[in-house]
Amino acid sequence: MITTTFSTISFRVVLFAMLWWVITEAAIDSWYIGVPVVAFAAWVSLVLLPGFSLSLPGILRFIPFFLWHSLRGGVDVAWRALHPQLPISPGMVDYRWRLPPGLARVFMANTVSLLPGTLSAELDESCLHIHVLDKTGDFSSELAIIEERVADLFALDLSII
Amino acid sequence: MFMEMLYIGMALFLLLTLVAGLWRILRGPTAADRMLAAQLFGTTAVACLLLLAQALEQPPLRDVALVFALLAVVAAVAFVRRAWVADRETEE
Amino acid sequence: MSVSDIITTILLIAGAAFFLVGTVGLLRFPDVYTRLHALTKADNVGLGLMVAGLALQAESWAVVGKLLLIWCLVLLAGASVAHLVTVVARQRGIKLWKR
Repeated sequence: MITTTFSTISFRVVLFAMLWWVITEAAIDSWYIGVPVVAFAAWVSLVLLPGFSLSLPGILRFIPFFLWHSLRGGVDVAWRALHPQLPISPGMVDYRWRLPPGLARVFMANTVSLLPGTLSAELDESCLHIHVLDKTGDFSSELAIIEERVADLFALDLSII
Repeated sequence: MFMEMLYIGMALFLLLTLVAGLWRILRGPTAADRMLAAQLFGTTAVACLLLLAQALEQPPLRDVALVFALLAVVAAVAFVRRAWVADRETEE
Repeated sequence: MSVSDIITTILLIAGAAFFLVGTVGLLRFPDVYTRLHALTKADNVGLGLMVAGLALQAESWAVVGKLLLIWCLVLLAGASVAHLVTVVARQRGIKLWKR
């Protein structure tokens, strides 16, 4: 598996340089300011945010997964909002973490909020508490798939943890 | 010409959905319902600005949208925390 | 009208439809949690479709990048706001709606 450690300075420099390029809409003379700014941003981020690993194929697999499921999420909520009988039966669901504590859990909580019928309420040591629009659905398998995708993105192996 | 009309028309339509959403903010019933305003304004304003940037050929409006998107997070945190703290003080 | 103009038109109209549905959900859903569902998901998809439509008309790749960056920021804001409001609502003991 090709993984990139976010702890490497070169990865951060590339990332911030891309951001600068986008924000300035590729203005050539902006690089007089851009070069020191990118270097400074990379240095500050190294101090403030400790390194973590990202898997490049994991990112490439995550993007279509996320786009497709958020579209499904939109269509699902649209159908429920427009239906005359308002077919919802809200409830709370607890999901036991397999991900280790840290950024990956926060990332998963945010992803869950954007996917069909689920909204992250609270995160604690052992569980993610989720508000669901329709508690009759089967969420555990869907959440397990999301968790595997997030683990893939962060180059984590769930079976070891 | 058609495309410019489309962008402006869409921006006006989004403003109308924003006004309709305001009814919920006014009506509440809980303070948490009113906090949804942060969410509603954030997304709709960004979409409107991006449409106007294209329609009026004013690329700087995209930067305004970018700042709006950034501020949406800060505004939400401030809004939730402040409303929460203020509410506790009046209760006690 | 070019092919890209037609695709842009379709994407913009679809995006606007999701914004409308988000507002309908905001007005019709019975409690703050379900309203959050409507607002977060529908508005984010709506903005995503609009960004896709506008990206087709963009004059450079940097503009496409900027549109995507804006969408990512709004997604992050949406998920964070939804989470914060849910936490506060639950701390205040706002009950879940039951049919």
